[in-house]
Amino acid sequence: MELQLKELRDRCLADLNAVDELKTLDNVRIKYLGKKGELTIALKGMGKLSNEERPIIGKLANEIREEIENNISAQKQALERKEIEAQIKEESIDVSLPGKKHQAGNLHPLTTTVNELKEIFLGMGFSIAEGPEIEWAKYNFDYLNVPQEHSARDLQDTFYCEDDIVLRTQTSPVQVRVMQKQKPPLRIISPGRVYRFDEIDATHSPVFHQMEGLVIDKGITMSDLKGTLDLFAKKLFGEQTKTKFRPHQFYFTEPSAEMDVTCFKCGGVGCKVCSNTGWIEVLGCGMVHPNVLRFCSIDPDEYSGFAFGMGLDRITMIKYGINDLRLLFENDLRFLTQFK
Amino acid sequence: MLVSLNWLKEYVDIKIPPFDFGEALTMSGTKVETLTVVSENVVNIFTGKITKIEPHPNADKLVVCTVDMGTDERVIVTAAKNVFEGAIVPVAVDGAVIANGTKIGTNDFRGLLSYGMFCSIEELGMNSDLFAKEIMEGILILPENTPLGMDARELLWLNDVIIDVELTANRSDCQSIIGIARESAATLDLPMADYKTYTAIENTDEIADYLSVKIENSACPRYVAKMLKVKKIEPSPLWMQVKLINSGVRPINNIVDVTNYVMLELGQPLHAFDYHSLQSKEIVVNTTTDKKIITLDNKERDIDETMLMITNGKAPVAIAGVMGGENSEITDNTTLIVLESACFNKGSVRLTAKHLGLRTEASSRFEKGVDPELAGIAALRATQLFLEIGACEVIEGLIDVYPKVETLKKVTLDINWFNAFVGITLTIDEISNMLSRLFFKVAKISEAVLEVEVPSYRGDIELKEDLAEEVARIFGYDNIPGTIMGGETMIGGKTPVQKFEDRLKNLLVGQGYYETLTTSFTSEKRLHGLNTELEDNLIALINPLGEENSIMRNTLIGHQLEVISLNYNRKNPFGRFFELSNTYHKNPNSGELPLEEMMLVISAYGSDDYFELKGMVELLLDQAGIKYPEFIAGGSEMLHPGRKAEIFVEGTKLGEIGEIHPLVVKNYELPKRCYVCQISFKALYGCASIDNKFVDLPKFPASNRDLAILLKQDIPAASIETIIRKNSGDILESIELFDVYTGAQIPEGYKSLAYALNFRHHQRTLNDNDINPVIDQILSELKITFDAQLRE
Ligand SMILES: [Zn+2]
Repeated sequence: MELQLKELRDRCLADLNAVDELKTLDNVRIKYLGKKGELTIALKGMGKLSNEERPIIGKLANEIREEIENNISAQKQALERKEIEAQIKEESIDVSLPGKKHQAGNLHPLTTTVNELKEIFLGMGFSIAEGPEIEWAKYNFDYLNVPQEHSARDLQDTFYCEDDIVLRTQTSPVQVRVMQKQKPPLRIISPGRVYRFDEIDATHSPVFHQMEGLVIDKGITMSDLKGTLDLFAKKLFGEQTKTKFRPHQFYFTEPSAEMDVTCFKCGGVGCKVCSNTGWIEVLGCGMVHPNVLRFCSIDPDEYSGFAFGMGLDRITMIKYGINDLRLLFENDLRFLTQFK
Repeated sequence: MLVSLNWLKEYVDIKIPPFDFGEALTMSGTKVETLTVVSENVVNIFTGKITKIEPHPNADKLVVCTVDMGTDERVIVTAAKNVFEGAIVPVAVDGAVIANGTKIGTNDFRGLLSYGMFCSIEELGMNSDLFAKEIMEGILILPENTPLGMDARELLWLNDVIIDVELTANRSDCQSIIGIARESAATLDLPMADYKTYTAIENTDEIADYLSVKIENSACPRYVAKMLKVKKIEPSPLWMQVKLINSGVRPINNIVDVTNYVMLELGQPLHAFDYHSLQSKEIVVNTTTDKKIITLDNKERDIDETMLMITNGKAPVAIAGVMGGENSEITDNTTLIVLESACFNKGSVRLTAKHLGLRTEASSRFEKGVDPELAGIAALRATQLFLEIGACEVIEGLIDVYPKVETLKKVTLDINWFNAFVGITLTIDEISNMLSRLFFKVAKISEAVLEVEVPSYRGDIELKEDLAEEVARIFGYDNIPGTIMGGETMIGGKTPVQKFEDRLKNLLVGQGYYETLTTSFTSEKRLHGLNTELEDNLIALINPLGEENSIMRNTLIGHQLEVISLNYNRKNPFGRFFELSNTYHKNPNSGELPLEEMMLVISAYGSDDYFELKGMVELLLDQAGIKYPEFIAGGSEMLHPGRKAEIFVEGTKLGEIGEIHPLVVKNYELPKRCYVCQISFKALYGCASIDNKFVDLPKFPASNRDLAILLKQDIPAASIETIIRKNSGDILESIELFDVYTGAQIPEGYKSLAYALNFRHHQRTLNDNDINPVIDQILSELKITFDAQLRE
């Protein structure tokens, strides 16, 4: 019996060794360990053994069973590894082939610029105000302190829909509307589309975009105007940017100024972008004119404020080095796809 | 405006380099655009007198000149035609450099040495735009009394720096050498010199024998006239010509040059009439009914009764403030002149000049506003110059019609207010000093308050804020510190609508669409191209830039098609675009502003089809929290009749989607298939519900049922879905159309739609008893409504 078992074990191990596929491995297990397997049958014959022999043969049979099972399990692992290796080998790809195309579009560069400006001012506690593009002449001119006979009101300068309705030439009417509706303190920016009677060329367009800002509160000073706009310039063009305020004239403000920033391209030494001056003119600003405050029923003895305005198309062109304004309105994909 | 630095220096002793001076002026409010040396290169050109001209022995076209240079004599060989014995000319001597940088030496001309070269205006680098061609081509002949051996740089002010300044609209007082000199003196804190004026005591009113003046129109606040006898009409002295040239004005003769000189110097436009040509003893200022006048430039001008004229009582002799008439022009025979120094209202001159399309040095000054006080000052200054250069003799008396003399304004300035407003701390004396530098008369009326008298020419100063700017700019804007705003903290931020706009744009960009930027204008023609009847609520512009920009757009689709057309024609093979922008419509309520409606337009061509675009729109609606949009066949005429749909959400129309109509494709030169969707932003936002809330994940399994429905071909799939949804109640979790089939085993004119339905209950597991009745109900309604049945 003992010999018979050992011979069975040797045969089984030989069979196992011969297996080279996972699916035939189970056949070996069934052949020896299954219900009708050789080992099972052999063990059934144990009843015939003497009482002395039975525990010895029983122990041996269990050892053999364990040995076979361990071998099956080892062989299974080896075969699985082999199979995976084969699969891996078969499934190798040329990882340098191009990926599948996904498409993303872009915002228009003007929108990207506007977003950037908005974020800067939103961070300073400003809100965004909007107003009509087709506007009463009195909102576009009178309430902004523009003299009655000023040439800006001419048909050669401003588009008219009716005698008293114009396409706004600036976004300042929005400021008037906000001041008439809300009580100070106010901090608003108003980006938007504006119109002037200009033929389109590399630097002019009858349709363009502006962003104006307004701050009204008790005790707002010209130093606040300088500090706020200087901070804005540093955030937009970089920490190293310097600003220069030159006296200027606007009807909406008094005193008035224009703000130049050091050229972001050359840092102020002079280049093509800044026409070799080292400076770029960015915006107009000033303290809100007392007449304007009065038009909006705000007492200039109690409140003061500042306002500023800038051309968004121009800033976009400067920022990206775009040399022709018409490109902004043309929407050639070869242009649009450049602004990720 | 061009300003000669040399001329300016006659009034203010400017010692700092020109560049620094320009910066200083800019920073005090007079913006310097450019600084240009008249003739940077020129050296070693001196005046010389031609004493003898002899023919060249070896060349017909050359002559040999002996030239007296004051200290020596030299021989110059020249081909110039306009030289003569006795002429004083500029001579570039050995080692000279002319304007274009060429070095001049001693040269051999056919066997004879020439020790230099005579120079033309161009070779000297003078402003060549001002001279006639024949003068340009010859050697510059200088006046007889010019000293010999003088450096041309000094004599002709070739070393002058021309400052181009950009003046703001409120500073008409700066349109002169004196005006800029005042700013320079204030900026640099330097004294300002005076100019000589006519101060002789006159004993008679001789002028009254010749002339009277009547102002019959309020557009002329003042009219001053002085009369002079002309001694000789001749060129003005070189120093005067040079100043005119460096100011960009062409010298003409001694009479006209003086009027221009005073205009440049003081800012008062002057005009000189030939007295005898006036053929009248009176001048009347008024509008007239005349239709024509020939102006000094020999052009006939159409005039009308809105334009202010200077007349001789019968006919116009000048267009007031714009240009004189040819009928009273100064000629070589003029013996008696009337010098007009008048003030005309800026509005009147502006409109007249605009209607005539005639802008002159005079009109552009009047348009910005000229101080009436200046008229008297300028008349006397011009008289002084006429006498000084020996052009005229005075006729005693002065006519000065000045109906309403304005009193000088006084503005008070509270120092504490000023310091608080600007954010600095200046003493009352410092402020007073800065205002005095600007020629304000300042009186201290209390410890902290100044009373400031404003000069007549500073019409722009009315309020304390105006004075604040004056002090601040002299103090220097750059010296004002920058501070962070105090006051209440403001939260700020975007409104929900503004955030929604951002979300829409970002979603479209993420899906491969490019944002476009198009203008707001369209035209009847462009709209006709869209195959639609023109709406009667279009907004037309009164003054459009051409027909193609004459209407405010009422749809964004036209512009999207133009974008597609441009890209298609530029061989960009496919494109996806969107724009969120306004459309404009008449307001049905009169007395209100037109309506502006923001629309979202999405378009595609090249690779996409209707369902691709529809999928984008569905995603967009889904992201806006809109559950069951309906796409119902229909839409505007610009879309393909078989491929268009209107989009509804719970009965509200959002917009339309479809393929572009083949006719429109032709009109707009589009690729054969383009797709577009236009949605009202307001309606979309109104339907949106983007209030995100967490719902527990399902704990019970779902049951799936597939239904294949057989129905007539022309029944829209959407209506089947509606019936399924309506009959399923809360337990229908999702519905998906996974197959549309026609062909074998399906009767002609029918189709099969296969849906996967997913049912789930949140509190329990569903069984057949829950679902079967629902399916039965669905099938029954489909049968009744569409005669549709379950396909076995
Ligand atoms: Zn630069």
